[in-house]
Amino acid sequence: MPLTDMPDFSDDLLAEFAARRTLRVNTPVIQPAEPFLDMAGEDLRRRIFLTESETGSSLCLRPEFTIPVCLRHIETATGTPKRYSYLGEVFRQRREGAQEFYQAGIEDLGEKDIASADARAIGDAMGVLSRLLPGRPLKLTLGDQAVFEAVVKALGLPVGWQKRLIHAFGDMGHLEALLERLARPQPVAGLDPQIAALVASGNEAELVAWIDRTMQETGYSTNASRSPTEIARRLQEKLQLAETKLDGGALILLREFLTLQLPLGDASAALAGFADAAGLDLRPAIAQFDARLGALANAGLDLAAMTYRAAFGRPLDYYTGLVFEVTEQGRSAVLAGGGRFDRLMTLLGATDHIPAVGFSLWLDRIETARVSP
Amino acid sequence: MTITIALPSKGRIKEDTAAIFGRAGLSISAIGNDRSYRGRIEGIEGVEVAYLSASEIARELASGSVDFGVTGEDLVREGMPGVDEKVEFCARLAFGQADVVVAVPEIWLDVETMADLGDVAADFRARHGRRLAIATKYWRLTQQFFSSQHGIQLYRIVESLGATEGAPAAGQADIIVDITSTGSTLRANHLKVLTDGIILSSEACLVRARKPEHEGDPRVARIVEAVRTALAVSDG
Repeated sequence: MPLTDMPDFSDDLLAEFAARRTLRVNTPVIQPAEPFLDMAGEDLRRRIFLTESETGSSLCLRPEFTIPVCLRHIETATGTPKRYSYLGEVFRQRREGAQEFYQAGIEDLGEKDIASADARAIGDAMGVLSRLLPGRPLKLTLGDQAVFEAVVKALGLPVGWQKRLIHAFGDMGHLEALLERLARPQPVAGLDPQIAALVASGNEAELVAWIDRTMQETGYSTNASRSPTEIARRLQEKLQLAETKLDGGALILLREFLTLQLPLGDASAALAGFADAAGLDLRPAIAQFDARLGALANAGLDLAAMTYRAAFGRPLDYYTGLVFEVTEQGRSAVLAGGGRFDRLMTLLGATDHIPAVGFSLWLDRIETARVSP
Repeated sequence: MTITIALPSKGRIKEDTAAIFGRAGLSISAIGNDRSYRGRIEGIEGVEVAYLSASEIARELASGSVDFGVTGEDLVREGMPGVDEKVEFCARLAFGQADVVVAVPEIWLDVETMADLGDVAADFRARHGRRLAIATKYWRLTQQFFSSQHGIQLYRIVESLGATEGAPAAGQADIIVDITSTGSTLRANHLKVLTDGIILSSEACLVRARKPEHEGDPRVARIVEAVRTALAVSDG
């Protein structure tokens, strides 16, 4: 049975959102599909309900709220900071579970005090969940992309390798494959000897000219794709990166870091200890991490129910720092998920840099949790 | 219950299928005139043949409205999620061989592997203000291969229903995922296949829609057995 009514706890939810000084917004159910596929990637295509307008533009049923809320903010241009809340139906193709269900959440746009905005998002998520699931022990898992980025930078890898690793953060399989390549570098094979000689000569202008000529001859010069300069530069970079080898010690450090999982209250000391033992300077990232912990403690949140997991992240390029999710103790269903996405607003077309943090609540799972013993 | 076998209605694949079925002792006679789109298997009661296009066959297998079909593995795998739960690939028929591949412009001297493509895709938005665009009619195969096997999320699919090889030079897309048998069309369009860019080595297959009523039906077992035996003989 599709849900046709709001969950019976909607009033409580809206009361929480109002008490937390948010502005409730709604967005159309039918949305242009482009921004979702552009931001979240093609993985989303099989999970959304796509259709076409009469004029051929791609439309979809709203699969989530963050992107529509952010787009609405950009269109209405009402300035920051703004705290938005939403409650409404979302639509996803799923093999199990309903395909239309309610989601609610808060998006906090433009708050410059990162640590306290992060702590407030976590506090809001935990507070709302405690109201909806009174007396039920909750468990929060927290990750921080900024700490991983700091570790990767401190290891002194070339920028190209840093980018690869950071891009894969949150996708353990992909990350493992990259570490494997760093452990056993493979020389670049199959390069035409003429090109290899050109690259070796270090004469970039000549290499670019050669590529440009070939593009003209083969009909690839007029398309708006990769330019001769871009290809030449990446070829040079690739040859350098192929020789990069991370020594055994550094690899062990990276792997050790990725296995870190401990009570959030102990995480600062553990990160500082790791940095010392590894001889890495992680001070700015750890300072940010500590500031967030301080803000969480100030807000009266119970750090004992929170776990830091170093490898926890989302492999999408607009997530920048905090990620978190909340489950019931001893259960696996994620009831709330959130994070910081400081790059999303500019990717969506905002002209100013707008820091952003938010979370969404899976109301169908919360409903299930409310009726289960 | 009538067993329906969907066979390709035209071209080389129609002739090759008829040849295999002939060798398997399953000779097909047309119902009505020679140009009819329906037939029966001589000597087995209650088995019908429906002639359909290769892509329709994949669709009918997915919906379970036919029992067997002969069509390209690429179309079956592209056409339905959870393919191995829904159908059984009973026999690979050794014709219609072609690979579904990832191909990029030859002039992309720096891109030989999927890992290279991952680097390019990750940076694409920052450099060009848009995601890397892939022209293909295989969006499901592409997405599985790029995301699940290679951790590449950030690209956009441009649906292309024909002359896909021309899309990069024409500026409709940056690279393609397409089917190729000899690679000559790719070369003519100055495209190269990535060294680890073969998504699927496809060929024509005898495919059965998994249905409970097939259990213990001697006609089902006989059809599969006959085709497999014919293939084993031609191998030997």
